[in-house]
Amino acid sequence: MALLLRTVARQGLCLSRSQFGVLYRPAVPMGTAAKKEINKFWAKNTQLNRPVSPHISIYKWSVPMMMSISHRGTGVALSSGISVFALAALVLPESYPYYLDLIHSMTFGPQFFAFSKFALAFPVAYHSFNGIRHLAWDLGKGFKIPEVYRSGYIVIALTVLTSIGLAAM
Amino acid sequence: MAALVHPGDSSALGLMVRIMAALIRISSVCCRGVSPLLFRSSSLIRPLAVQKKDRDCPYLISAKIHATPSSHAGSGSKAASLHWTGERILSIALLGLAPVAYYYPGPAVDYSLAAALTLHGHWGLGQVLTDYVHGDFKIKMANAGLFLLSTVTFAGLCYFNYHDVGICKAVALLWSK
Repeated sequence: MALLLRTVARQGLCLSRSQFGVLYRPAVPMGTAAKKEINKFWAKNTQLNRPVSPHISIYKWSVPMMMSISHRGTGVALSSGISVFALAALVLPESYPYYLDLIHSMTFGPQFFAFSKFALAFPVAYHSFNGIRHLAWDLGKGFKIPEVYRSGYIVIALTVLTSIGLAAM
Repeated sequence: MAALVHPGDSSALGLMVRIMAALIRISSVCCRGVSPLLFRSSSLIRPLAVQKKDRDCPYLISAKIHATPSSHAGSGSKAASLHWTGERILSIALLGLAPVAYYYPGPAVDYSLAAALTLHGHWGLGQVLTDYVHGDFKIKMANAGLFLLSTVTFAGLCYFNYHDVGICKAVALLWSK
């Protein structure tokens, strides 16, 4: 009996282990040589106290560079906003229309809502238009420097127009 | 408020949770796929060396050229490439969801937005972590934190869609003020 129990238990253990194996198999690091090389690179950088590239204070800031970091900035900001909103939905006791009416009843004036809409529409519009620009690059289009500048100015113009339009709605 | 709650959403919610779980598992597979990109340059050089050495037997050359890169970074680079394609498909889907949400607001779009926005944010923040966080332990902690954040965000958005007015209606209500 004990033997039977032990066998069953062992089989169960093996089964659960194999299940974990299926789940975690992809987590085994691939390309260990490349990883070692990257680690060596970072260890050397830290040891020599090298500055991070691109060095922010010695680079001449260009429009594409600003737009690139802004794309990341708006992305992180929007993602954080969504997370805060989701967390608020879980934590706050009342419903969304209740809080919206509460803010509306406060005497902030109509500019407050127009400003809120602009503050929301601007990063969404920028990240969307610049995202389309990135998708065009992913197709291998628009890599020449004048094209990069032109598409950048188009994105900025469209973003300003769209966000002003949306805020005025 | 009860009138605004979407009826019969529990099945849709379950489906979305399952899709999300599957996608997150895919993303965790794909997260590992960045380093093999570095391999490509080295594995491109190596076949040339092989070619020079085995000049007298042309049939073996082609076999070796194809065999060398795949034996080094086969599954890794494939996973990275799949992840890259997945990110682009999701971005295009999000762009397409905007007009759909405007013209056909409803629970289907609400849950699609909850899943797509969370996953897009999860992958995007993952890229940021890959770029700025170094050291095995720190990377592990950062990824665990990101996974927790994304899970809570998705749960919160689904809760909002189920118990509150939903994402589409929330935006519409703000714009009605």
